[in-house]
Amino acid sequence: MLISPVIIGIIVAALVLLWLIAVFNGLVALRNRVQNAWAQIDVQLKRRHDLIPNLVETVRGYMQHERSVFDAVTEARAQAIVAGSNIPVRTAAESALSGALGKLFAVAENYPQLLAVENFQILQEELTSTENRIAYARQCYNDEVMKYNTTQSTFPRNLFATLLGFSPASMFAGMDADRAEVQVRL
Amino acid sequence: MLNAHPTGELTEPNASQRFEPRDRESFFAAQTRNRRATWRISVLCVLAATLMGIPLALIITPLLYGVALIIADAVNLFSPLPPEFWRQASEVPHFGRVAFDWLLQQKAADPQALAIGAAVMLLPGILFSLALWAAVNLIFRRSGTGGAVLALRAREPSPSELKELQLVDVVQEMAIAAGLPAPQVMLIDASGANAGIIGASPEDARLIVSRRLIEDLSRDELEGAVAHLIGSIGNGDLHISMRITAVFEACGLLVAVMNAPFGPQSRRILWQIVRYSLIRREGDPQEAALVADLLTRSAGLEVDDIDRFFDATGKKSRLRSIRNFIFFPIFFTNTAVKLLLWFFSWAVLGPLMGLLWHTRQYLADASAVQLTRDPDGLARALQKLNEEPGEIPGGNWASHLFLVRPRPSGSTFAANTQQRQMLAQAWAASATAASASMPGASSNFAAISRQLPELMRAAVAGDERAAARLRSLYQSVSAADPEFAAQFPNPDDLIAARKGDFEAISRLRAARPNPVALGQAGMQKDHTPSSPEAPSLVAFHASLKRRLKRLALLGAHIDPVARDRKAGIVILVFSLLLGPFALLAILLFLLLIAVMTLASLTFVVIWLAVIHKLFALAGSPSA
Repeated sequence: MLISPVIIGIIVAALVLLWLIAVFNGLVALRNRVQNAWAQIDVQLKRRHDLIPNLVETVRGYMQHERSVFDAVTEARAQAIVAGSNIPVRTAAESALSGALGKLFAVAENYPQLLAVENFQILQEELTSTENRIAYARQCYNDEVMKYNTTQSTFPRNLFATLLGFSPASMFAGMDADRAEVQVRL
Repeated sequence: MLNAHPTGELTEPNASQRFEPRDRESFFAAQTRNRRATWRISVLCVLAATLMGIPLALIITPLLYGVALIIADAVNLFSPLPPEFWRQASEVPHFGRVAFDWLLQQKAADPQALAIGAAVMLLPGILFSLALWAAVNLIFRRSGTGGAVLALRAREPSPSELKELQLVDVVQEMAIAAGLPAPQVMLIDASGANAGIIGASPEDARLIVSRRLIEDLSRDELEGAVAHLIGSIGNGDLHISMRITAVFEACGLLVAVMNAPFGPQSRRILWQIVRYSLIRREGDPQEAALVADLLTRSAGLEVDDIDRFFDATGKKSRLRSIRNFIFFPIFFTNTAVKLLLWFFSWAVLGPLMGLLWHTRQYLADASAVQLTRDPDGLARALQKLNEEPGEIPGGNWASHLFLVRPRPSGSTFAANTQQRQMLAQAWAASATAASASMPGASSNFAAISRQLPELMRAAVAGDERAAARLRSLYQSVSAADPEFAAQFPNPDDLIAARKGDFEAISRLRAARPNPVALGQAGMQKDHTPSSPEAPSLVAFHASLKRRLKRLALLGAHIDPVARDRKAGIVILVFSLLLGPFALLAILLFLLLIAVMTLASLTFVVIWLAVIHKLFALAGSPSA
């Protein structure tokens, strides 16, 4: 029994098609993970915004003389909310908010009665956790982007990725404000 | 090795080892390596399962044919089957014989007939076993493990308590880092410090944490521990674990199938399995209960209906002995199956699955480092948790899913951190108060809980110094914390009881309330250890040393554990000496299994022939 070249050609074509389908689906799954990770960062930033009024309310009574500290927090929060989806402004505002919050907790160390309040401890834990979550969400986003970009750009998928309509995603580059302080001389 | 200190290496080998740049490995590389290792070992596992399947199928197939034959005979009695059917049926043993002659007497055979013979002898048994495994798998997957979690008596963490809130937060953080939905967190108030994941799928996953764990670990250690578990969920370990468990459960159910004609218990379980795997109902509580039963009590393996059936110690009637005689062959079959399953799960399949699970643990460790970027947290957590037996009462069936191996604690008392410190101080003080020959001042709680019973035994046996030490220990403990001291027997009563003082005995009995410890002991007795790791040569948990070594490669700053050369040599010599004997024992065992299998086969064939003849006799007058 002889297998004609036509049949072989059809089989090869079918295999290539199946492989392409698998590549496409895999890349779609990875892209969705990247988008989900990006959305997660936003969710956590929003969570931080929601926690702040509560914190300011708790702290206000104990820290009458430190108005400037929690005014900075409220202002940074307002700016971050106003910035909305304007990424560079938003990034700067969120970074300012992180700094203001750090200062507030540092100042709070001077108020032992405040530290003893259980509600404050819980709020502090929530905010610490939220800071962590933001950091982990960014880390997760970068990991997913790396996976997505590597999958796209390795041979032989790189031949088809652009054809199928995929383009590399960009990594989260960190806070611009933080980065400005570090200058590496080579 | 760029900057190895030449001088340090000579004078202080330990110090140089510590600061020597290691060949680091990135966590992504470690993950890829361990994933590959899992694949390799799982191929071996499938091979081992096939190897076990051949004799198993040889035992089960004739029984299946027997059932088919009896049914056919019974049908034939009422509406005669066409002669074509019987002719076809008689071909079956013929092909089987061809295969056997080839195997045992090296008789040359037509390869095609041989292939058919092998298929005839093996295929029904293999298909039956696979169907059983698939059914168990299906039920596990569908109904989840919620019912079994109930057995752990876990509770939800309270959001108003800082430590428990912190745990929930850490779990959320790690889930975000892994890009997974956060699993439900459950706390158990057990005395051991341990944590694990339980569930049949990532959606069903629950994180089980003992209260002691969040007290003992700092935040970054807790992050490492939780990251390991979340990473494990993300790597799909729950599916793998369920498949492994299903293999062992299916083996147990095979025994139940053998027993089915003789006992109501086996019949009930089998009927439930068949019903739930065929009928699809969402969220059936009874199904969940069955899964819980299968998991926690290992329903299949525990069944001993057949022993009860043959156990004629109670009544001895002629009818009974005739019945026993008739059903005698099934005893061989049963024993052969049990021996086979035990041997393979202990020496072949179990160890392989243990090794497979090791690779999953290394993988989860590497994933944890990816999530936290802090190998030190996990390494310290592992070191801390391994110091003590992290026992989880009622969680034996899932012990491989826990962070460190839950060892049953030797101690019969529960203690929190403060109580431990106090006990350690009292222990040291009592050692100096007594004589120097006593076991020294050890601050390690595990060591104390081992030595304390010995001390009690010595005191009861009449050792005056031990008694004195016990008394001083008891006095200082009860002065510091009378509630805690109530867990220990009063030494005076112990000694008096030994001398036959009934009042002291009754006092001792009354003074043993300690519900936690008693409850745990009771649990262990009626929950036979049914985890997949129970009957295996290789533990399912990778050793701490190896895990730490791998974490050090990923960048953890831990002192490399000094290798004990002497112990290694001793083990080598012993294994060289005992190796041949072990090999001989294994061979003998395999021979025993083969003999049992053949005996079972022969008996079943004779038995079937007799039954067939009886049916033919019963059928002939009417025909």
